[in-house]
Amino acid sequence: MAKNPPSDASVLQPRFPGVPWVRMRGWLGILAAAAALLATWMALVWAPTDAVQGDVYRIMYVHVPSAWLAYLAFVVVFLASIGWLWSRRPIFDAIAVSSAEIGVLFTGLALVAGSIWAKPTWGVWWTWEPRLITTAVMFVMYIGYLLLRGLSTDFERRATRAAILGAVLVLDVPIVHLSVLWANSLHQLPTVLRAGGSPALDASMLLTLLVSVAAFTLIYAYLMAARVAIEVARRERLWIPT
Amino acid sequence: MDSNIVFILAAYVIVWGALLAYLWSLRARGA
Repeated sequence: MAKNPPSDASVLQPRFPGVPWVRMRGWLGILAAAAALLATWMALVWAPTDAVQGDVYRIMYVHVPSAWLAYLAFVVVFLASIGWLWSRRPIFDAIAVSSAEIGVLFTGLALVAGSIWAKPTWGVWWTWEPRLITTAVMFVMYIGYLLLRGLSTDFERRATRAAILGAVLVLDVPIVHLSVLWANSLHQLPTVLRAGGSPALDASMLLTLLVSVAAFTLIYAYLMAARVAIEVARRERLWIPT
Repeated sequence: MDSNIVFILAAYVIVWGALLAYLWSLRARGA
């Protein structure tokens, strides 16, 4: 519940010191939009057709970056959670909840795009194989993380509970990535980030993938800046103590 | 034309559409 603002005007200051990426939001948005247009053109027009799969492999250019950005988002949740537990600075909690929300979005998109890719290549929309199961588990766990935050209205308690969970859940990220190596998997093995070898991908396809990943990373940064700003403004309104 | 064009279009429309919808929701929340 909102508390009455203190009468001392000296405390009417932003509770969160400005973070550079929040201030640079406008430029980030322009850069992200330009990168997204370039990545889409490269993915749909410039990149060559695959010799085996034909054009349907082009789904890779949205599926793989979505999955990687989900990994990144959940690693950021982990780092921000540690930051909160270490320093009790509220900005870390704001970053954690923002990154978790965006990470859930990217995980959902990776699952949906993967499912659409699976139908013409595997013949099914979904199959119970390790990569898909661990990704679905990751999706559900971070939804749980967001739901857990709603269980307490006490800021400190909620932030600490969420931080402990956010620090533990990151264990699923390497499990998802390596799951294709641990069991007889239908899903393709790691193509770019693979041990003991260079990427198993044509140079122009790899370049297109890297541009797509860069575009998605900029989009993530832009969404984070906007989402963190909302969190900061909301807490300012509620007079949550720092 | 590739017979799987509908799958490619669906994936791109859903991914970019969802990202734009999320951005729109952030704007609606005051970002």
